Amino acid sequence: MFQLLRSLKANRTLLWSFVGRDLKSRYVGSSLGFFWSVIYPIMNLAVYLLVFQIILKMTWDADKSSQEVVLLMLVAIVSWTAFAEATSRSTNVLVDNQNLIQKVVFPSEVLPAYVTISAMVNMTIALPIVLLALLYAKLNPTDDPAVLAAAAASGHQGVQLGAQLLWVPLLLVLQALFTAGLGYFLAAFNLFWRDTFHVIGVALTVWMFITPIFYPPQRMIDKDYGWMLEVNPMHWLMDMYRNVLVQNHAPDPQQLLSFTAAGLVVFAIGSSFFSKQKSKFSDLL
Amino acid sequence: MYDSSNPSDAKPATNAMGGSAIVARGVSKAYRMYDKPVHRLWDLMLPGGPRGREFWAVRDVYLDIPKGSTVGIIGENGAGKSTLLKLLTGITQPTNGEILTRGRIASLLELGAGFHPEFSGRENIRLNCSILGMTEAETEERFHAIVEFSELGEFIDRPVKTYSSGMHVRLGFSVATTVDPEILIIDEALSVGDEHFKGKCINRLNEFQEQGKTTLFVSHDMGSVKSMCKHVVLMHEGRVLEQGTAEEVADEYLKRAHARGNERMSAINRQLDAYPRWGSGEIRTGKVELSDGSGKVTNVFQPGSPFRVNIEFEATEDCHEPVFGLGVYRSDGTYVNGSNHLWRNEPIELGDVKAGTKGRVEMAFESLPLLQGGYYLTVFVYDHDKAAPTPIDHREHAATFEVHDANHLQHGLLFLPTQWSVAMDGAEPKVSRD
Repeated sequence: MFQLLRSLKANRTLLWSFVGRDLKSRYVGSSLGFFWSVIYPIMNLAVYLLVFQIILKMTWDADKSSQEVVLLMLVAIVSWTAFAEATSRSTNVLVDNQNLIQKVVFPSEVLPAYVTISAMVNMTIALPIVLLALLYAKLNPTDDPAVLAAAAASGHQGVQLGAQLLWVPLLLVLQALFTAGLGYFLAAFNLFWRDTFHVIGVALTVWMFITPIFYPPQRMIDKDYGWMLEVNPMHWLMDMYRNVLVQNHAPDPQQLLSFTAAGLVVFAIGSSFFSKQKSKFSDLL
Repeated sequence: MYDSSNPSDAKPATNAMGGSAIVARGVSKAYRMYDKPVHRLWDLMLPGGPRGREFWAVRDVYLDIPKGSTVGIIGENGAGKSTLLKLLTGITQPTNGEILTRGRIASLLELGAGFHPEFSGRENIRLNCSILGMTEAETEERFHAIVEFSELGEFIDRPVKTYSSGMHVRLGFSVATTVDPEILIIDEALSVGDEHFKGKCINRLNEFQEQGKTTLFVSHDMGSVKSMCKHVVLMHEGRVLEQGTAEEVADEYLKRAHARGNERMSAINRQLDAYPRWGSGEIRTGKVELSDGSGKVTNVFQPGSPFRVNIEFEATEDCHEPVFGLGVYRSDGTYVNGSNHLWRNEPIELGDVKAGTKGRVEMAFESLPLLQGGYYLTVFVYDHDKAAPTPIDHREHAATFEVHDANHLQHGLLFLPTQWSVAMDGAEPKVSRD
């Protein structure tokens, strides 16, 4: 793990040029360019809103306005999109760059790292728009009497925006650590079993739906699936983002500690597996 | 070049190497071949392995390449040349043995590996430089020289996807050789690009030699190996068969290529029916045999050697005034020569040919003027009784042959009996007739 980090530090110029190239190449030739970083999650949100709120008529808690529900979903979607994209791209990143691995002496540990960083930067680009939406919701609170009554009863305060935003950079770093760890493991594993890439595509979809993104976590607890939330690090992460961004609450300390531990463990396992198999990569491709 | 964390990477070992740039001691490389891809996974996770068979691409190679030398590695396809290069560059690790190298290695295994098609030449130069392990300052310093050498002009600002393959290679070569390596490894990269750029590349390689840098050159083009390298390593089935001066090894290689060429060519000649054949069919040609002066059947010739073509034929129906002809083509389709027995100062006229007649046609000459390359013959039997000759039996690709040129005295398609004379300061000219 440490030798991998040292190598990333030594090759940081290369790492940053890959990140830069990747961010540019996303939008080279497209007319909306970087706006896609923002449009993409919003379009996703629109689709899920249509399905869950309008067609399936799924309601969240009585004390949350529909405005607030949309924001809770948006925050989670933005973060999940970055995680899922980086994980699935990392899985195939060695295969996609086999030219480099087989034809030049190349520090392959740069590859999953650049995919993760690029996804995190992309997510960060979308964040100001999320903040604008939050600000709008804060300045125009709901006037639905039913929601107001329920909120008064439960003490829920609606959309809040404040100093707890300072937690966001730490959450981004922790997300990157967890994602990169998974990415390192999957990238190396995919060389031994190429079906990994396809399995991961399905697994990420399943994972997305068992993580409370489009429905309140309480639903899972009510249906006796609460244990799933206890073992799902992505749920802890989503919950912390929502607390910090929408409610202006500090992250739950237990969730923060658990996710940090999960990130460190996953990164340690993933990066040592990657380093151990690294010398075989050019033969496996 | 990279701060590599992998302890098994080829590493500089200055003290143990004396004046050598590359030392290989008993290097072997085995690849594992699996019947099913999933067996690779079982090998990773389950005990009871290893599954699959071993394939030894390189076996027991000992090399000691002195600093400043230019060494050619030759061998047929599959002889292990490319694997050896991958081992020497450190792209892959040897299964047994050890490799010591001194100094930065630039490998031209593939020019422009890692170019991104959507980005401009300029952006790709920067990225490629960092891939080759250069710092930002080094890149900046050499950037202008790279752009200049590539001669891409305004194309340097256009996306690489708009480049021709020649331009792609030019940019790749410019980057790789401007990196200023101690050891340069080239894998037949120079075969692309126009003559002008090829000349520039050769000049650059000569500069490398003069600066005392080590060059490893892999090719099966004997001519360029001979002209560039003093020392040649001949590989065969993963082993070093012979190493020594260019002349010795090159002759050995040609002898083998000659023997193998005959084997391979006769296999090709047995499957020629796949090529187009048309005509009215009164006469069918049969076996087409090539032979040398002594009458020995062969498909491999040398420039200047006697050359004979024998065509068997049989008439299945009566016909009047058939004419046999032969077309000689180079393997790329260039029409070299066509002739027949009628259009001559002393023509042969066959008159009526009855059904059932069998015979042989021979075309011969004493000194084959063709140079190194692959060639094929097309057999024509045409009816010249009509206003325009019409095909009776036209057989494309009826036979193929190769010309191996051991001496490489001339280049191109044809051997010309040139005469040279050089006069200096009014002195008697020096004359060379051969």
